[in-house]
Amino acid sequence: MDEARGAVESFEAPVEPESLDLVQDRLETFWAHDESVSAADRIRFEMALVEIVGNIVEHAFELDADARGRLLTVALTLGPDRIEAVLSDNGLPAAIDLGAVTMPDEDATSGRGLALAVAAVDEVGYERVEGRNHWRLMCHRNAD
Amino acid sequence: MIEFDVRTTDDGIGVVVPRGRLNMVAARQLRETLTGLVEGGTSRIVVDLAETTFLDSSALGALVAGLKTARQAGGDLRIARPTESVLTVFKLTNMDKVLRPRDDVEGAFHG
Repeated sequence: MDEARGAVESFEAPVEPESLDLVQDRLETFWAHDESVSAADRIRFEMALVEIVGNIVEHAFELDADARGRLLTVALTLGPDRIEAVLSDNGLPAAIDLGAVTMPDEDATSGRGLALAVAAVDEVGYERVEGRNHWRLMCHRNAD
Repeated sequence: MIEFDVRTTDDGIGVVVPRGRLNMVAARQLRETLTGLVEGGTSRIVVDLAETTFLDSSALGALVAGLKTARQAGGDLRIARPTESVLTVFKLTNMDKVLRPRDDVEGAFHG
């Protein structure tokens, strides 16, 4: 890989639960660009990515929305010091304040997704631009 | 993709072994598997996570739901042998105290 620019890969996936496996398969292949990424960094990045994709699958579309029109774009970037993902979808705006996300009580059976993503990586960002949702994840690469 | 092995030991403990990734799709199956065991009269359950390569918040929710269901039926749900990836999720969500990992399946209900 080109050390200065890093590895870049992007792909589209339908917004449905089954796409989680597709995203995880693509990420697994993506790591082959640079085998020096530590296990701990791979784990936390995958965790955040899956939680954000899961959030989009669960919340970005009305239940009766036409399945053919629901698309998610994932762009992955792997540089010498950071790993990034930008996710973009054409769903409903996410009514979310990432600064106010907290971990629910220990007996909760849902609601941990975004809190887990925020805890796992160094930056999680969301913005609505021109009718699309954009999520950005960034994780600094650590040596171990 | 995921597969679940389900067996019952001689002393009536249900052992569930998810092999692969426990994400949103698999979490639904996990929840149904755990509920099915309790409804079938097996309320002491060990979930053996040694071959679970990944676990997300929806699967964690399924484990918590299984724990509640098992306890309501007078039993319990215990976790054995989590992988590094799964243990990271437990720690980041502060669930490692509630789903306290055990070193082996056989000893999960002893000692």
